[in-house]
Amino acid sequence: MNGLAAVLQRDVRWPWYLGAIFVLLLLPVVFGTPYWRGILIVCAMNVLLAMSLNLVIGYTGQLNLGQSGFFAIGAYVTTVLLKSYGWNFWLACVAAVAASGFVGLLLAAFAARLRGHYLGIASLGFAVIVYQVLINWESVTKGVQGIYGIRPPPLAIPGFPDLNFGNQAALFYLVAGIALAVYLLLDNLLRSPIGETLRAIREDEISAASLGVNGAKWKAFSFSLSAAIAGLAGCFYPSFVGTLVPDAFNIVESFTMLAMVVVGGTGTMIGPVIGAIVLTFLPELLRGFGDLRLIVYGLALTLVVLFMPGGMVQAWQLLRARFKGVRTKPAADAGGVAR
Amino acid sequence: MTDFLTLILQQSINGIYLGCLYVIVALGLTLIYGVMNQINFAHADFVTVGAFVAFFATTRFLTKVLGLSDTTGYLLSIFLALGAGALLGLLVNALVFAPLRNRADELRPLIATIGVSVLLENGQLALFGPIPFQFDSPFAQQTIRFGKIFFSQQSLLVVIVAALAIGALYVFMKFTYLGKALRAVSQDRETAGLMGINETFLIGLTIVIASALAGMAGALLGPVIVLTPFAGTSLIVKAFAIVIIGGFGNMEGTIVAGILVGLIEAFTVQYLGSGLIDLVVFSLLLIMLVVKPTGLIAERREENV
Amino acid sequence: MSALLEARELRKSFGGVKAVAGISIAVPEKSIFAVIGPNGAGKSTLMNLLSGTYQPDSGELSFADHKLTGLPAHRRARLGLARTFQKIRLFKQLSLIDNVLAGFHIRHQVPAWQYLLPGAAFWRDWTRCREEGLALLEFVGLGDLAAQRAGSLAYGQQRMLEIARALATQPKLFMLDEPAAGLNAAEVAFLLQRLRDIRERGITVVVVEHNMDLVMKVADHVFVMDHGEFLFEGPPKAVQSNSRVIEAYLGGEFDSGALA
Repeated sequence: MNGLAAVLQRDVRWPWYLGAIFVLLLLPVVFGTPYWRGILIVCAMNVLLAMSLNLVIGYTGQLNLGQSGFFAIGAYVTTVLLKSYGWNFWLACVAAVAASGFVGLLLAAFAARLRGHYLGIASLGFAVIVYQVLINWESVTKGVQGIYGIRPPPLAIPGFPDLNFGNQAALFYLVAGIALAVYLLLDNLLRSPIGETLRAIREDEISAASLGVNGAKWKAFSFSLSAAIAGLAGCFYPSFVGTLVPDAFNIVESFTMLAMVVVGGTGTMIGPVIGAIVLTFLPELLRGFGDLRLIVYGLALTLVVLFMPGGMVQAWQLLRARFKGVRTKPAADAGGVAR
Repeated sequence: MTDFLTLILQQSINGIYLGCLYVIVALGLTLIYGVMNQINFAHADFVTVGAFVAFFATTRFLTKVLGLSDTTGYLLSIFLALGAGALLGLLVNALVFAPLRNRADELRPLIATIGVSVLLENGQLALFGPIPFQFDSPFAQQTIRFGKIFFSQQSLLVVIVAALAIGALYVFMKFTYLGKALRAVSQDRETAGLMGINETFLIGLTIVIASALAGMAGALLGPVIVLTPFAGTSLIVKAFAIVIIGGFGNMEGTIVAGILVGLIEAFTVQYLGSGLIDLVVFSLLLIMLVVKPTGLIAERREENV
Repeated sequence: MSALLEARELRKSFGGVKAVAGISIAVPEKSIFAVIGPNGAGKSTLMNLLSGTYQPDSGELSFADHKLTGLPAHRRARLGLARTFQKIRLFKQLSLIDNVLAGFHIRHQVPAWQYLLPGAAFWRDWTRCREEGLALLEFVGLGDLAAQRAGSLAYGQQRMLEIARALATQPKLFMLDEPAAGLNAAEVAFLLQRLRDIRERGITVVVVEHNMDLVMKVADHVFVMDHGEFLFEGPPKAVQSNSRVIEAYLGGEFDSGALA
């Protein structure tokens, strides 16, 4: 049966992952200067953040404008546990991820009944509150002065010499490796029935309920997982930057993450990765224009939403179709009242 | 009058003064939502642009080049800021809202306006730099004394302008043909269209009016806030808080809510310190969203399955 | 025959309007049960009450041996209640097969960790769902279009897809809200045959309909509502000739479907 064969076809993905590992190994070699290696690390973190945000916006269809809050929680919980309580870095990371995930769960429960604009505003309010808490809770976070002297985590494996991540390249491998692992697991998750459930919620929550889908539960799951991944990215940010200040977690960062997801293409796994890479490197390439180069975020976001809502992934698909001479979209709106 | 009472009254006046400014900003936001169910995220950035326009007009152009007095210059700059806001509104409507009007996706325009907001902020950053500008209104120095209560001429100006603007808007909405048509469009766009009302024009007009208000608010707010290109980000969330508390699309509610938030801010500064303002206001916002997302003065919209 | 679905004195008002005023209903197993009535009779509201989309102001509702009152819609689906909607609610951006696959939500048997790292059980479930999904699409005549985007289907096809998707949940009771609306004669005939097939499979069918043709040809039992209240019930022939029913239809506005 031709139909069945088509439906049962599985994508072969492992060559892509192998290729990605190869590229990642080479990147710090190609980008040899400390400055560019720093950009690579930022890029890896942005990839994690964009993937996490896409889970909620692209796959579950919820407008989350507060991702910077979870990033902040990851960074600050790790750092405070490390510096003020002397925890082991890796344990502090685990705690930070758990904390982010937990707060994500709270926010989801809180916002369970909110839709569309209201949810966007509530999430924005959340991010602002986190930011204000960071500034004002000086006894713990040292406020705007920040926490100094954060050193990258050593990795002690018995039998081997200590791996020191003070080296930029090593830190990049760590963060990029984690990003790749998260990509793999997330991709599997979203291709599974859980992904189908989230997409159903995105498309039409009411009919999804008629199929047995508990919307509130799965939205909470999605929010929580997304927050945990953002927290994970946050764990490594202080090591990279050395001094942790609240200003890095201004709500404008949420918009930058949003731009990365939208410009890359929501609702696909590779879209946010592309968006993160493009929007991390493009401002760098435009350094000649001075501060004007930051316009790239706003401009890219606006133009994409207006003209290519599916992002760069959509643009790519259209290009491919043009080359093959085939129409990708089947005849749209063949009739009826369907909108 | 006891000292305590004097203090309360003083803070109340400060609160009302601040509240009036917030009302002007929030009214624009709620007008746009009322007429097309969309949020212009860049609205607060129009305020910032208005503030910068007023600042440069007052301090560089009007006084230095044209030789006008400080006060005349400032008053004139209010109109200039209004014009700048209107222009921005026209652009955003033509480029963003109008093309996206008939698509089913209700969130695309919002995200597009987020893009515009980021664009405006970074653009201003490139032009003006991150260091706050000191915008001194010529009216800020003179104070009027009423018993033991002080307020500056600036705050009097603000209240007068706000009252005029709100009054004019109110009259416009309730008594003119255009205003009634506008209310018709916000209640039921399709039917209004069928009755011969040109909703495209009206929606465009609403956005221009709303943005003009934002620009004007910028000229008045400039002396009070920390004037940087990013002033919009803290203002937009406050504006959202007001619109949600008052009810999206609800003019009277927004006015009440705006004054309320102004008062809350004034008293928070007095008793808890200025650092906690945002925290208090936004916590209030979150509570409102959960308890009564349709606002204090609720408007029902039922979903038909 | 025992009643699979039972409701007693259901009431629902919307701001003063009594949409459903004291309806009691008993749906026998393995039958096709039609709910009819003029416009505004409250049929869709009743269906929403039965499916859990709305909660009643008062009254009792039970399904097999389970009490339904207070239970949200997704829990009722787990108990074996499926439905389609008057206004088609498909997952428009997804393909046909993806729409149907969503219906298997409550039937997966995969250990949780395998959603992250697929193993044998995951792939078994994966294959089974797709085979069954495709079979369902073929049942409604859409097998060839499995990979197409649902939003691109013609109206009649979209209705059929909704049916296939709901059937994926393996319901015991299947409720359809005006399935024949907007369908041409050939499509209605196809729909009728499908409903009979569904009944043959042992699934009880409840249909809210305007189209009298469908009701008379296929229903085992007809329940008539008017203005939120019970009017009459019985076999199709009895309903057809009942004077109060005829008066209700002729007295109010109704579509052109012939009564006789």
